[in-house]
Amino acid sequence: MSKTTKPWIKSEQKLGFQAARLSLLFGAVGTMCGVLQAGAAARLLAALLHVQRAGLSAWVSALVFILAVLARAWIQLRNERGNFELGAAARRRLRGKVLSALLALGPAGLRGRHSAELAATAVDRVEAMEGFHARWVPATGLAVMGPAIIGLVALIADWRSGVILIIAGLFVPFAMAVAGIGAGIAAKKQFVAMTRLQVRFLDRIRGISTIVLSGRAEEEAQALGKAAGELRERTMRVLRVAFLSSTALDLAAATALVLIVIRFTPVLHGAHELAPTALFLVLLVPEFFAPLRGFAAVYGDRMAVEAVAEELAALPEAPAAVPAADIRAVAAHGVTLAFDQVTFGWNESRPVLDKLSFKVGRGEMLLLTGASGTGKSTIVDLILGFLEPRDGRITINGAAVDDLVPAARTRMVGWIGQKPVIFAGTIEDNIRFANPAAGGDEVKTAIRNAHLEELIASLPQGIKTPLGEGGFGVSGGQAQRIAIARAFLKDAPLLLLDEPTSHLDPAVERDILESLKHLAAGRTVILATHSTQAMDFAKTIGAKRVDLDALRYASWRGVMA
Amino acid sequence: MSPIIRVVSLWTRHPGWLFLALLLSLGALTAGVMLMGLSGHYLAVAIAGGVLIVPALLPWTGTARVLFRYGERIVGHEAIFRALADLRVWMFRGLARSAAGGLGLRRTGDALARLVNDVDVLDGLFLRIFVPLMGALLLLPMMFWTLEREHGLAVLVLVPFCFVAFWVPWRAARAAEDNAGKVGLAVAGLRTAALDALHGLREVKIFAAEGRMLAEVQAREAQLLAAQRELAGEGAKLSAMAFVAAQGGILLAIILGFFGLPIAAVAAVLVLTAAFEAVLGLPRAGLLYGQAKKAAARVVQAAETGPPVPEPVKPASMPSRNAIAFEHVSFRYAPDRPFVFEDLSVQLPEGSRTAILGPSGAGKSTIAALILKLIEPVSGQIRFGGTDVAQLPAEALRHRIAYLGQTTHLFADTIRNNLLLGDPKAVDEKLWAVLEAAQVADAIRALPEGLDSWLGEGGATLSGGQGRRLALARTLLMNAPVLLLDEPCAGLDAATEQEFFRVFNAATEGRTVLLILHRLTGVEHLDRIWRFTGRTLVAAAG
Repeated sequence: MSKTTKPWIKSEQKLGFQAARLSLLFGAVGTMCGVLQAGAAARLLAALLHVQRAGLSAWVSALVFILAVLARAWIQLRNERGNFELGAAARRRLRGKVLSALLALGPAGLRGRHSAELAATAVDRVEAMEGFHARWVPATGLAVMGPAIIGLVALIADWRSGVILIIAGLFVPFAMAVAGIGAGIAAKKQFVAMTRLQVRFLDRIRGISTIVLSGRAEEEAQALGKAAGELRERTMRVLRVAFLSSTALDLAAATALVLIVIRFTPVLHGAHELAPTALFLVLLVPEFFAPLRGFAAVYGDRMAVEAVAEELAALPEAPAAVPAADIRAVAAHGVTLAFDQVTFGWNESRPVLDKLSFKVGRGEMLLLTGASGTGKSTIVDLILGFLEPRDGRITINGAAVDDLVPAARTRMVGWIGQKPVIFAGTIEDNIRFANPAAGGDEVKTAIRNAHLEELIASLPQGIKTPLGEGGFGVSGGQAQRIAIARAFLKDAPLLLLDEPTSHLDPAVERDILESLKHLAAGRTVILATHSTQAMDFAKTIGAKRVDLDALRYASWRGVMA
Repeated sequence: MSPIIRVVSLWTRHPGWLFLALLLSLGALTAGVMLMGLSGHYLAVAIAGGVLIVPALLPWTGTARVLFRYGERIVGHEAIFRALADLRVWMFRGLARSAAGGLGLRRTGDALARLVNDVDVLDGLFLRIFVPLMGALLLLPMMFWTLEREHGLAVLVLVPFCFVAFWVPWRAARAAEDNAGKVGLAVAGLRTAALDALHGLREVKIFAAEGRMLAEVQAREAQLLAAQRELAGEGAKLSAMAFVAAQGGILLAIILGFFGLPIAAVAAVLVLTAAFEAVLGLPRAGLLYGQAKKAAARVVQAAETGPPVPEPVKPASMPSRNAIAFEHVSFRYAPDRPFVFEDLSVQLPEGSRTAILGPSGAGKSTIAALILKLIEPVSGQIRFGGTDVAQLPAEALRHRIAYLGQTTHLFADTIRNNLLLGDPKAVDEKLWAVLEAAQVADAIRALPEGLDSWLGEGGATLSGGQGRRLALARTLLMNAPVLLLDEPCAGLDAATEQEFFRVFNAATEGRTVLLILHRLTGVEHLDRIWRFTGRTLVAAAG
């Protein structure tokens, strides 16, 4: 367990108990109703045995019994619903936090982490926190309060029985801690082993086609069976000890009952006034242990937290908002972009960019070339603000980009990458993604400019055709056209093109470059590519060129102007 | 046979354990009920001024209860761990038989992950549903017998008992079953929204859509919570009803006591307290059952779908040659879908190196699936070494063809075990030889644990290029005469891709090679190049 995990669980616990105060209060009231009910039942039974006159008092007892039952039922209903809301609120809070942090960090901050896994964190790992807040926290609170209340009542009613109950009650956590040595560690081990088997199974199932096509299905099936068998043996060794703690609970409950019965049987003879008390205390025994059983039942929910806490606690904090001072916007009519001695590297010793300087004027195009790994995408990410230069300045119209209001900076930059992401939604949703407030005419113009009209006309549902998972699958070229439509709709004065055609076959590439030419007109453009066709295209426009390969070999001196 | 029964029938391989677990559970239940009953009885006798007896039986019942409970837990878990292993192995075998074609070539990791979740749900079936339900069922005649002996009317208290033990759980199961679809849909929606936001993070930032995406996720989350709230509310209502019914039953027993035998009534009240305590968990089990039923249906359906291409009744013997030929092959995925290709003929002579190019989505991978017998042509034949593949057993055929696709999986296991999948008998020298050939040996030698380094979660991380080369090493280790590569470099940058093909050229000298790609990097060594255009192949320059 990493260092951040424990404090994280602690803080969740604190939040959980704070939120559960009302639920715990109701729980305590419910316990008291349980005591009342047991008292009423005891009086009724005593009346039944003719030791008390079955008269008015029996009727009163019956009424108290019914009222107590109804109150408890209502509290139970209220608490189950309320506890669900505790879990729901916690999940909303955690999910909001996780997603806000991830969204704020941006693509560079999440470098090297798979989006599917991050989504699993935001969905499944947060979902796994439900049991902790909705069940474990209330059950734990009640496991302390319930027996305490009932123990106190028992002490008052009959101090000997009270002592028996309280000792038996204290024995339970004591046994859990000592005999189970525990139960905690053992259950944790078992949980981890179980999780491993599940991970292994999931992994083998995910890769099942690889296994089948390698002709190893039978061997893997046997290996899986063997792994499960080994897990069973190992786990059972642990469980034999772990279950001793549950047995301690059973033992305590049975012993308390037997001792209380033994304590009363001899003295009851002829002492009728003791009868209701005796019955009352016997009826209290199950009530006393019920919260402890409830607590034992939610142990798995507590364990589940251990499994997900590491991942949730390890999420980076969202970066602090930009200080309000010195923020400025620049006029967005035509943009001049300049790099001034910019240095960047993932680690100190191996800079990707070393004192790079260049300038692109209004309406000009800059062609960035070089093998992969020489920093083309890094330059694009620096302009987008996903990365911060280690040294040097990036300016737009002479103003350092860090001084810009982030929203203004975002407004100014358009971008098209290798493979645009198509979101679950219609074609229209996907294009409007660039600007949800755009009018119908603007969207139409963007579609025309991106040459998407033909595709849309060929689809029966037209612009309302759903895309994404389970929807119409667009080809690489069509996806790129959607990206171009987005860029038209956003209409930003600075356009970054990061390998826009590297996934396309030559015929489609030519088409897309034609559309890009139209998009580039009147904008300041940076085109990063290693496609010869794209380079030729840039030359026809009259682009300047920065060759990062050449720079790398040319003693790392910033050139260009 | 209903899916649940199918899953339960898997348990019967360990009848001894299950029976013992059930027996112990029943013993524990009986002892628990008896303990309460005896306590009540002794107390009532004492109060009524009966003969003073030392309740010697009481401690024994208590002890039996404790021991039975412990035994039940141990044996029950032993049984369930066996069943759990069987369920997974059965599921794996079933999927391996049926799903290689259906799920294998497409990226359906999520669908598979959902199936695995379903299997996890089924784990609770025995201990959390079956055992308590059997307990309630067996408790019923026992209580009937005891109560009936005391007083005919006493049998009336069984009405609330049955209500709590059977009717309420049944309602809960129904509610859960109705709800399972809703929750499943809501979870899928939430997952899509979260995945969209994170997968498209670049777009989200650039188009300043953080707020919109967060709102979308929160809207989906609200849908999920609403669906869950509905079930939780229904469950809470049913639980409260069960509670009232149980306490009503106890009150009824007391009232009946005024008509009949008072001592028996006291005992009955305590017996009922214990009996209701045993069944009050059943409404929750009912909820679980509703979910398990749906899960079982999906799992059984996935595991018991037959193989996508039927095996030949009388398989032909494997030909000695390894040329592949498509003869007038037409294929479409369904009668109402357009043809992927029509009347396609192409020869891949033994020892030739061929590339098939085409944009993504054109049906290139379909060619690989046809050769591997994951699907069968609508018309025409595919011949391997001169024999129609329909006559060849799929497994023998696949042993001749080493396949490396974009979805080829590296397992969360040691590098050694990942390689051994290609050839389980390979010795270390051979492993290093293929690693050298795939030019990934240096990277692996640099890892502290070498071949025994763990891949994946919590283990060594290889870069994308290294991972593909490791997969290539495994493919080379298979030593099959035909190599079939389908976009082996998907997701890698151009330089890494070129590097991969340089290595590949050298390592596969002399074998029959078919590359399926969307474009060439220019370094591949090839004899012939075909281009996919409009449902057929045309020769391209090469």
